[in-house]
Amino acid sequence: MAAGEKIKAKIKKNLPVRGPQAPTIKELMRWYCLNTNTHGCRRIVVSRGRLRRLLWILFTLTAVALIFWQCALLISSFYTVSVSIKVHFQKLDFPAVTICNINPYRYSAVRDLLAELEQETRGSLKTLFGFSEITSRKRREAESWSSARKGTGSKFLNLIPLLAFEKGETSKARDFRTGRKRKVSGRIVHTASDVVHVYESKGLVGFQLCSNDTSSCAVYTFTSGVNAIREWYKLHYMNIMAQVSLEKKINMSYSAEELLVTCFFDGESCDARNFTRFHHPMYGNCYTFNNRQNETILSTSMGGSEYGLQVILYLNEEEYNPFLVSSTGAKVIVHRQFEYPFIEDVGTEIETAMATSIGMHLTESFKLSEPYSRCTEDWNGVLITNIYNATYSLQICLHSCFQAKMVEKCGCAQFSQPLPQGANYCNYRQHPNWMYCYYELHQAFVWGELGCQSMCKEACSFKEWTLTTSLAQWPSEVSEKWLLSVLTWDQGQIKKKLNKTDLAKLLIFYKDLNQRSIVESPANSIEMLLSNIGGQLGLWMSCSIVCIIEIIEVFFIDSLSIVARHQWHKAKQWWARRQASPCPEAPPSPQGQDNLGLNIDDDLPTFTSALCLPPAPAAQVPGTPPPRYNTLRLERAFSRQLTGTEVSAES
Amino acid sequence: MKGDKHEEPEPGPEPAAPPPSTDEEEPLLEFHHSYRELFQFFCNNTTIHGAIRLVCSQHNRMKTAFWAVLWLCTFGMMYWQFGLLFGEYFSYPVSLNINLNSEKLVFPAVTVCTLNPYRYTEMKKDLEELDRTTEQTLFDLYKYNSSNSLVAHARGRRDLRESLPHPLQRLPVPAPPHAASRVRRSDSSLSHSNPKVNRKDWMIGFQLCNQNNSDCFYRTYSSGVDAVREWYRFHYINILSRRQDTPMLEEEALGKFIFACRFNQVSCNEANYSHFHHPMYGNCYTFNDKNNSNLWMSFMPGVNNGLSLMLRTEQNDFIPLLSTVTGARVMVHGQDEPAFMDDGGFNLRPGMETSISMSKEAVDRLGGDYGDCTKNGSDVPVENLYGTKYTQQVCIHSCFQVNMIRECGCAYIFYPQPRGVEFCDYRKHNSWGYCYYKLQDAFSSDRLGCFTKCRKPCNMTTYKLSAGYSRWPSVTSQDWVFQMLSLQNNYTVKNKRDGIAKLNIFFKELNYKTNSESPSVTMVTLLSNLGSQWSLWFGSSVLSVVEMAELIFDLLAITFFMLLRRFQSQYWSPGRGGRGAQEVASTPPSSLPSRFCPHPASPSSSAAGPATSLALSAPPPAYATLGPRLAPSGSTEASSSAHTPGEP
Repeated sequence: MAAGEKIKAKIKKNLPVRGPQAPTIKELMRWYCLNTNTHGCRRIVVSRGRLRRLLWILFTLTAVALIFWQCALLISSFYTVSVSIKVHFQKLDFPAVTICNINPYRYSAVRDLLAELEQETRGSLKTLFGFSEITSRKRREAESWSSARKGTGSKFLNLIPLLAFEKGETSKARDFRTGRKRKVSGRIVHTASDVVHVYESKGLVGFQLCSNDTSSCAVYTFTSGVNAIREWYKLHYMNIMAQVSLEKKINMSYSAEELLVTCFFDGESCDARNFTRFHHPMYGNCYTFNNRQNETILSTSMGGSEYGLQVILYLNEEEYNPFLVSSTGAKVIVHRQFEYPFIEDVGTEIETAMATSIGMHLTESFKLSEPYSRCTEDWNGVLITNIYNATYSLQICLHSCFQAKMVEKCGCAQFSQPLPQGANYCNYRQHPNWMYCYYELHQAFVWGELGCQSMCKEACSFKEWTLTTSLAQWPSEVSEKWLLSVLTWDQGQIKKKLNKTDLAKLLIFYKDLNQRSIVESPANSIEMLLSNIGGQLGLWMSCSIVCIIEIIEVFFIDSLSIVARHQWHKAKQWWARRQASPCPEAPPSPQGQDNLGLNIDDDLPTFTSALCLPPAPAAQVPGTPPPRYNTLRLERAFSRQLTGTEVSAES
Repeated sequence: MKGDKHEEPEPGPEPAAPPPSTDEEEPLLEFHHSYRELFQFFCNNTTIHGAIRLVCSQHNRMKTAFWAVLWLCTFGMMYWQFGLLFGEYFSYPVSLNINLNSEKLVFPAVTVCTLNPYRYTEMKKDLEELDRTTEQTLFDLYKYNSSNSLVAHARGRRDLRESLPHPLQRLPVPAPPHAASRVRRSDSSLSHSNPKVNRKDWMIGFQLCNQNNSDCFYRTYSSGVDAVREWYRFHYINILSRRQDTPMLEEEALGKFIFACRFNQVSCNEANYSHFHHPMYGNCYTFNDKNNSNLWMSFMPGVNNGLSLMLRTEQNDFIPLLSTVTGARVMVHGQDEPAFMDDGGFNLRPGMETSISMSKEAVDRLGGDYGDCTKNGSDVPVENLYGTKYTQQVCIHSCFQVNMIRECGCAYIFYPQPRGVEFCDYRKHNSWGYCYYKLQDAFSSDRLGCFTKCRKPCNMTTYKLSAGYSRWPSVTSQDWVFQMLSLQNNYTVKNKRDGIAKLNIFFKELNYKTNSESPSVTMVTLLSNLGSQWSLWFGSSVLSVVEMAELIFDLLAITFFMLLRRFQSQYWSPGRGGRGAQEVASTPPSSLPSRFCPHPASPSSSAAGPATSLALSAPPPAYATLGPRLAPSGSTEASSSAHTPGEP
């Protein structure tokens, strides 16, 4: 105990923990201004003349304000990026190239499934447009075959009838099947937003879709019959195809050997084995070059068409579905490895009987993620589940989002996108009114009302291939004969002789091996920020971090402690007065006098003198609390302050 | 900030307190009594690091000299660095930013033209004479005999030839002697617009002369096809300008040209397009321009979310000698920009489905001091004749037209017509061809200054297009497609595939690149750098400069007072005044050190100072109170300016 006391005393002696030396806040300020290294403050105290002092206060405050403003600007612009563009010349990885025939399935193979639909389409074409075709023998065969099954009745037109609207009246429509007029009830939504049309055509064609309880219906009209028939056909086509299993669909579509007649890459021959199959619901079997798992990515050693991919495609025009697709050709898309090719959205068409050369130029972009911009490397921070087995891209996210909404709202998945877990594709056996739901939802999606666009972030890094397409007539007239016969011989499995319009040649190559990369990097580092802030502090006030600490110490800690002390004394005083309430008159006046005398002798600040001088005559009035309070405080503070000043004077 | 709050109470009580005790009052401005005093004060309180040593260590000459050198060195270094920093700032450097944005995009305006200005049947009457002459010329020059030229032949060629000025001629490549004889040799000049091809040393061209035939030149072409086309075009322009009536837009014209139109799977309607007529490219329809009530937006990339058109590309009523291409012409441009079909068009092939994928790119320049560009064209000295948004093309075309009107007195038909000016026609302006080709030459060699006058716009949007083609309609589907079109749009299936074309325009991606500039040195960084340098070399701040300014002000004020004093003492009572002044200048009052020592209690001593001086009634300490004291004495204008603010 004794030892402990001793140590305590020693510590107290050696490490005196005292409050601020100045007795009042004003004294503290004066002390601070005289001793600080910050410019301006000293002048406030030292200057003579009120105007001068006021000016110095103004100057100092202006400097402080400027520092705050400029530093705020510096900090707010901290998260900016600078961009550097580099051009490398190097051996470039060849991108993945996906090639699809525009027609998804061999028409001869899917004909069984689509026979009824085809027949009804033709029927409605006949009633609507009086179209009776001058058909080939093959088609007439099919017609007779389908007419044999006519007994089953027209189930497609029953489900969703095609309607022709008379000009000017939208509530009455003519039904194709029955030929009689019927009233179209319910809410009518025209996708063609105006009844007054650009075209002075005979009328409008459209179809009606209703929701489950048929309370709300929408009529979709088309100004051109071509579009109406195609849309109507597509709807039913999707329904039918949704019920077919994947293997069967793959078999119905084109095989790699069939599609790719010849293949040549970087001066070496290649074949169907270099391609991976990928089944697209609307385009059938597509083949991706240079996207094989567990294999190195091919690269080109040189730029130029000789060193790229050269393929000849066999697109059998006779096997085209007449209603689903109306153009002939193939689609090509250049993309990153393991990225999902959105063949229906982007992609370059290739024409038959033509050689299409596509020159590529690679641009890579890297963005900085979070505080700098809103992008994501993978699915981080995106609340949507990936239904594609591919790396992140904005497109994938948007489509996944739509599919998720579709499953949520309509109860089934849309046909042209992959299946999310636990859902199945829409068909009208299970979901009789999914089409209405789909159309509504798609409209909302396209107009950005589903919020998918805001939920999906862009990808932080992406590669972009700028394509330049050029065309040439192929094969040339003189080479046509031998070329076609050689190719026919090559393709042993195809019975018929190849025709010029069944073939297309495609060349994809790097124009040069220059790769442009756009890289973002932070424009500011923390050192830069600090040095800039330091510069600002130095410029206006010659201040430093130590000054700031000093300011915090003086203005916050010390001032607060002074205020606290005052309060404490006040409280104590109050307590003491309450204790000794009976006779408070006697002590104050002598003490107040004492105080006054002290003040004058020792040149205490004008504040106290100002406070104390006028009361001097009034001090005789007994029982005024201020003097008493003053004395108490002053007595104590005074001794301290004296020591403090002495120390400063010596130093 | 906080310090100020604490300080606040101080000035508050002070003005309130003084009245009872006059000696406590602090004057508004107080001046030092002597230079010495001033310097001492300055040395005690300054914050400029070098200055303290330089000015204030006056006892040691060596030290002073050393510090003077040091001070000068650092001063030099600092201003050198300042110079570099300012130089960098005032060169206005910019740094390039590339932003990749992805958001919904406004679909651009798409203009589609028929490539045929007028139905041949409509124009036949106007063009009859020209056609006949052309056939005659073709027969004369190339022995080409088209079917109906024989009729013209029978009518006799002489009179026809005379009717049209500027006949096509075959010219030998060296300047022909007979041509030279017609034209004065010195003035004749032969302009080759094509590199000459040695085909029997003949060239085809036509002659253009100025008003009084004093200066002529031949416009020659090495290929007859070019020559005939250009010549035909030249005459066609004249005929067009004579046809004052604008071609009436038959309402079914659109239906005859565009069979189907869809955007975002929705059919287009009247509100979505506007129409204009181009003298070369015919009827043009602009979709989604600024007149469109609600602009089309693309929320998704892809073919299905773009514009899809079915077009008629039949050419059975094309003007045979004018339109040598078939198909349609399409152009993608910004909403408020005119469509310059010549400059940025894209021809569509008939019998094809053309898919044009776009990607958007925007350029934002800073302008102002940072680069030569114009925000909205208002500061470009060329009148915008198009009445649309400023683009460089608009400006250049307007510039050419303005020059054309000034030089030739008439307006070129392909550019807009200002009020009160008529289009060029050689019946009214017989030398406009001469003038036009001369001007064209001056224009392309930038003697007109159009390219320097027309500055780049600061904000530009460009659309990069790339196209893919596929055959349309396919063999299997063409039957019903043609049938359908013939029924709905009265399309007669004559030449099957070549009569129609399909066009898809869509965004390839919704990512778009913005190349923007930003100043690489801003005011904030400049100040920071200045502050860093200043702190490094001098350790002073802006407030130190104010201190210096105060010092100088004080010096001036003291000098003024001293002069005033001397003047006063000489004028009023020379003996006393001179002594007083000397006293002021030389003797530091004994009270000074105590007054200005950095003692915490110092200000209170100032209160004591005047008190003692009052008691002594000696002049020097009363300097501060000199003003007030002088004023009552009514001494001339000497109630100095420094005191006047305090007086009222």
